[in-house]
Amino acid sequence: MSLPNEDYSQLSSHVFGDLLDFIIADVASECHRVVKLGLDCNLEEEEEEIRLSAQARLRVADPGNSGETNSKYVVDIFGQTHPSVASEIFECMNCGRSIAAGRFAPHLEKCMGKGRKARLKVTRSSTAAQNRYSRGSSVSTYSPHSNSTSTNRLSNGTPGVAGEEYSNGTYEEP
Amino acid sequence: MCERNSLYTNPKPCKHLADYKLRRGFNGYDSLQNCLKTTPNGRTRVDKHNTKIPRCSFCNGSQGRLYICLVCSSISCSSHILFHTQSEKGHEVAIDMERSELYCCLCRDQVYDPDFDKVVVSKQVKDLPGGKSNGFEACRERSSKRKRIDSGIGLDLKKSKLLISMRDRRAKSCYPLGLRGLNNLGSTCFMNSVLQALLHAPPLRNYFLSDRHNSVQCRKRSGEKVCLLCDIDALYSAMFSGDRAPYSPAQLLYSWWQHSSNLASYEEQDAHEFFISVLDGIHEKESKMLNSCKDDVDCQCIAHRAFSGLLRSDVRCISCGFTSTTYDPCVDISLNLDTSNLSPSDVANKPIKPTDEKTGVSTLSGCLNLFTRAEKLGSDQKLHCQNCQELRDSSKQMSIRRLPLVLCLHIKRVEHSLVRKMSRKIDQYLQFPFSLDMTPYLSSSITRSRFGNRIFTFEHENSNGCAEYEIFSVIAHSGMLESGHYVTYLRLKNQWYKCDDAWVSEVDEEIVRASECYMLFYVQKPLYYKANEDLSCVRISPRRDPFLSTAGCSSNAK
Repeated sequence: MSLPNEDYSQLSSHVFGDLLDFIIADVASECHRVVKLGLDCNLEEEEEEIRLSAQARLRVADPGNSGETNSKYVVDIFGQTHPSVASEIFECMNCGRSIAAGRFAPHLEKCMGKGRKARLKVTRSSTAAQNRYSRGSSVSTYSPHSNSTSTNRLSNGTPGVAGEEYSNGTYEEP
Repeated sequence: MCERNSLYTNPKPCKHLADYKLRRGFNGYDSLQNCLKTTPNGRTRVDKHNTKIPRCSFCNGSQGRLYICLVCSSISCSSHILFHTQSEKGHEVAIDMERSELYCCLCRDQVYDPDFDKVVVSKQVKDLPGGKSNGFEACRERSSKRKRIDSGIGLDLKKSKLLISMRDRRAKSCYPLGLRGLNNLGSTCFMNSVLQALLHAPPLRNYFLSDRHNSVQCRKRSGEKVCLLCDIDALYSAMFSGDRAPYSPAQLLYSWWQHSSNLASYEEQDAHEFFISVLDGIHEKESKMLNSCKDDVDCQCIAHRAFSGLLRSDVRCISCGFTSTTYDPCVDISLNLDTSNLSPSDVANKPIKPTDEKTGVSTLSGCLNLFTRAEKLGSDQKLHCQNCQELRDSSKQMSIRRLPLVLCLHIKRVEHSLVRKMSRKIDQYLQFPFSLDMTPYLSSSITRSRFGNRIFTFEHENSNGCAEYEIFSVIAHSGMLESGHYVTYLRLKNQWYKCDDAWVSEVDEEIVRASECYMLFYVQKPLYYKANEDLSCVRISPRRDPFLSTAGCSSNAK
């Protein structure tokens, strides 16, 4: 037995309405239970945290505000001042030469025969290539549930410069 | 203490429910138990007649909500349920047939009774595919004789207090001990930022300041020239000595490169990678010293005692509901950013979260919800279901079986585009709280929600100890993927400090809240408060001697 077209569309919207009501009742029933049993007791604290964060972002973005004393280039809280490249001198524990702290890492890399620049000179190129591309593999055993660590790295620094900070004054609006 | 005695406020029954129970006891519940049927996705309904569609006895309708009377089993729809109560005295409590929830017809509201929930859950468990233990805390897990680790570490504090107070006099100013800059040795801010966080992780701090790793004995015993633990110990001594000139962790860099030779390069490095690598180094060395070959779950090395937790993964067959469970240890949790701001969190299975749609901002709880959400695996990832004996679509759900003392949350800020074969950094702001309650993400909570949040004590509840955490450190990254900068914010005695390599400054908490976090470090509340007590701050008199440097405390020459 076939029905005329209008009856079909009426029927289908009726069925849809039923399904929708059913789902709404599901959600209402579950939320009701959660509230009555006190399973959401942290709601207020969470909302407060969110409010504080929102407020903080507004205040920080406001250029008139300097909650952060950009003392990096002047004086730190202990009253000290530092050069942008650390100048403390000490002995390299590998070769014994005196090195300035801010240049220690690049020196040590060459000194120990590691790293990209040093490795290019090494004739055992196959092992060097392996080392280069297997970075991070020894580390993945500790977070088996996450993606391979080598694909989620935030790097830092540009060679030769001891960490210049981007003044990240803009905040991405979602 | 922060352990709640029960996770529920046991709801008081309404007058009518209480009356019903007095008169009828459990008869109604028990007789109904056999009619309860649970679907593979966890819905429990009342199914009295297998074949007939239930219909309202008044209007014969079968749509909308249907209720079955607990006393006489007659069925009414929501429009006519009141008629039934009025026509039959004492028939005041009914059950929503599709959801197996108690309904009081006179209060016109859903009501709750632990005894009823117990009946429901017992039936659910009985009907679980594959046998009783399925989906439940399986017996294969060892009974945890977890001693209270924190008390073990706490005992050490008395000794460490002694060490600190002896050096107090040399503190340059009235600032907490341990606050000191770290020199950048050439693109090593990734290392400095993690070290600052580790330096102030209470269990690690207490361990090393209590001289638990004795360098003298270590060198004698192992005869090795390089020991990562000795260098970390030296770092702690230097940083907590009271000397405020920036320290150069050169020796540590050297030993770390010896340990992780594949990471030994002065190029771009990732702080999280370094974090994992350092913990691994500590574990390796301590295991050698303790001569233990215990697996991560029970390892007693300080890295694991502080950071190790246990994750649970449930894979569930969509067809029959059979669940297989595995446990994996972890030292941190890597979270994907909750970028789908417009989709509400999975309300059905979680307590109501503040609506993210209102603010449109990614939140840490959103990320944690995402992490513990039941995810349907693609149809190309069908798994073999033991119950169905064939390949089936499944869903996977993560939860936390055991929380660590120190919780490190790593935010994955890299996005890969397969199309363009490029990666880019996600700069999106992430809201994170200073106080964090991890209860909703525990395996006990997730399991409970899968059984409809019924009032029922599942096994292994509250064996985690404290689920409430306080933040003590934030590592923030600014800049681009291949070149950027790390800084660490430290929270000491409720004051925030920014550690930007050699530069230490005081900052408002707002700066921290608004920062672009990459790694968050939380510690269990009791440890946090205890740690704050121990951070002594000494006022210096104007006639104090000028600062004298002490061997091993300032310069790095060895």
